[in-house]
Amino acid sequence: MWRVVEHVLPPKRWRVPVIIAAGVFTGIGALAFHISNASSYLTDDPKACVNCHVMAPQYATWQHSSHARVAVCNDCHVPHENVLLKYAFKAMDGTRHAFMFTFHMEPEVIRMHAPGQWTVQNNCIRCHGGLLNHAAHLAVTWQEVQAGTGKLCWDCHRETPHGRGNSGASTPNARVPELSPVLPGWHRRTFQTPNKQTP
Amino acid sequence: MKSIVDIVEKKPWFGWVLYLGTLAAVFAIGLLAASIFERRQESFRVQTVSPIADWEPRNEVWGQNYPREYESYMRTSKTDFKSKHGGSAPTDYLAEQPDLVVLWAGYPFSRDYKQARGHFHAIKDIRETLRTTAPLPGTCWTCKSTDVPRVMNEMGAANFYKAKWADLGSEIVNPIGCQDCHDPKTMNLRITRPALAEAMERRGQDINKATHQEMRSLVCAQCHVEYYFKPPDKYLTFPWDKGFSAEDMEAYYDSIEFSDWTHAISKAPMLKAQHPDYELFMTGIHAQRGVSCADCHMPYKSEGGIKFTNHHMASPLQNISASCGVCHRESEANLLRDVYARQDRVKELLGLAQSALFHAHVEAKAAWDAGATAEEMKPVLQLIRHAQWRWDWVAAANALGFHSPLEAARVLGTSIQKGEQARRELAVVLTKRNVPLPVPMPDISTKEKAQAYTGLDMAAIEAQKLDFLENVVPKWDAEAKAREAKLPKTDASKSNY
Repeated sequence: MWRVVEHVLPPKRWRVPVIIAAGVFTGIGALAFHISNASSYLTDDPKACVNCHVMAPQYATWQHSSHARVAVCNDCHVPHENVLLKYAFKAMDGTRHAFMFTFHMEPEVIRMHAPGQWTVQNNCIRCHGGLLNHAAHLAVTWQEVQAGTGKLCWDCHRETPHGRGNSGASTPNARVPELSPVLPGWHRRTFQTPNKQTP
Repeated sequence: MKSIVDIVEKKPWFGWVLYLGTLAAVFAIGLLAASIFERRQESFRVQTVSPIADWEPRNEVWGQNYPREYESYMRTSKTDFKSKHGGSAPTDYLAEQPDLVVLWAGYPFSRDYKQARGHFHAIKDIRETLRTTAPLPGTCWTCKSTDVPRVMNEMGAANFYKAKWADLGSEIVNPIGCQDCHDPKTMNLRITRPALAEAMERRGQDINKATHQEMRSLVCAQCHVEYYFKPPDKYLTFPWDKGFSAEDMEAYYDSIEFSDWTHAISKAPMLKAQHPDYELFMTGIHAQRGVSCADCHMPYKSEGGIKFTNHHMASPLQNISASCGVCHRESEANLLRDVYARQDRVKELLGLAQSALFHAHVEAKAAWDAGATAEEMKPVLQLIRHAQWRWDWVAAANALGFHSPLEAARVLGTSIQKGEQARRELAVVLTKRNVPLPVPMPDISTKEKAQAYTGLDMAAIEAQKLDFLENVVPKWDAEAKAREAKLPKTDASKSNY
């Protein structure tokens, strides 16, 4: 084992440049981590979901729905069977979203892909199961849905909770949480003149 | 195993691979960081056709940028909706309930009290009401116009309040609108009236830390609250230092020995409640469930594929499906029935309190006429003061108690108790002086008869108002027009696009 480490370690005369190079890498990585608010993705705070502003219509419509009083994004959009599954799903979905957003690949109208749909369907049942008639609703399987012989909850409840159709242009002036500034708080307090807002 | 140094020593091309690999990796991470920065910037871009200046009072200038919000705001000009107990349609409350004239005898509300119209009419209404035919402070303009933040910014809030109402007439011309609640650069909700922030500060709360959902009520609470003009400089102040309830505010006013006026008939030191909509609402089930004012009064609206906040602030009963239907699954008819059921009950209690107060004022006059002493009358007048304050606290608020039916009923219960207590004590005073009971009540079957009973010369007041509207108001408007003509024209070439 130690032989492997030894193999990777630079010879003594290279240590200093390698340390600096490693610092540069880690620093740029940390910067990317900081400006992308990466740590917020570990939370259940809906603010994390509008780090990418393309989610603004989804945030704004959720906020104006009755679900806003009882459920946040993650209650519906990640699985809740166990913690491992939850974070594995978050990691997979999140990486895909980050990739598509970074490279400007997001479609104008964002729709859930298949794993997302099934997750939401399960979460509908998780809370509303008591309201459902077993024969009519719970017997729907994913295969049936895909074959067009079963219905997902929102095939009928189309306005719940985001309203119909959420293109990027559907909530042009919605006020959604702003990203926190890149510069730290002490810098703003020390060097910037505060905006005069109230007379 | 060989070290990398040895490999590079033997195969120099491997050194080049390492170099180019590192270069590509740093380049890629740099690109990623740049992309994140770029996409962060997109979210800060507020979409405006033409930029809006700081303190821009003209709603139509904002409307160029936000046509949907502006068009829906303009619908506050409509006066065609009447619910069972409210709405925007014109209603003369004094004609409907002439005993109100007696309750407010000696106070301008006894001259004229009509159903408030939408925000769009704020300037027109304050100019036209007969309540403003008297020397008033600048404070009276505070909640009427988008020009108020602009002028306060120029002259300071304290000087604004101190000024004469008539002296600011040409400055305050645009009705309640966009900049009262919005920041022109970011469109974020903001507080432009200092009284709310000051009241919260005295309670140890920093209003700047309010969440967006709280702000969707707090921007309304800049005006839809109980307030008074603190003497001697008429400084607009919210009486929240001891708490938000009717009793807490009453204790606050008692502790500073404040009264709005001395009653013309009973000589009681009276309080006039404004419209404690926010305070009453905060005690109700909707507030406890995290619902904001805007959730019901400005529900989301769809036009084609676009969703936006309806800026036609109005009775939710005008649009039950968009307001109540978001959370409540019952039919519109059932929801309407439930609202009316609560309002009817509050109305019933209001009537009992109002009747007790009318009788108490007239009986107090009879006691004074029979030679009652100030010492005898003091506890009675205090009861009348408290009873009428509590009645008014519910009566003056919008929605006829629906903002919190249980609290409204509770406060009215204490008002009725105090009003009747005053009458019992008056009966003792009157009996001592051999005044036969019951004391005869005046004929106040119409507003005119009631106003004549309280000694109002309505013809003179109306003539004064007519003169003001014909000779003063046109001058104000002409001066305002000349002033606004110098404001920067909105310029589409300065677009952010």
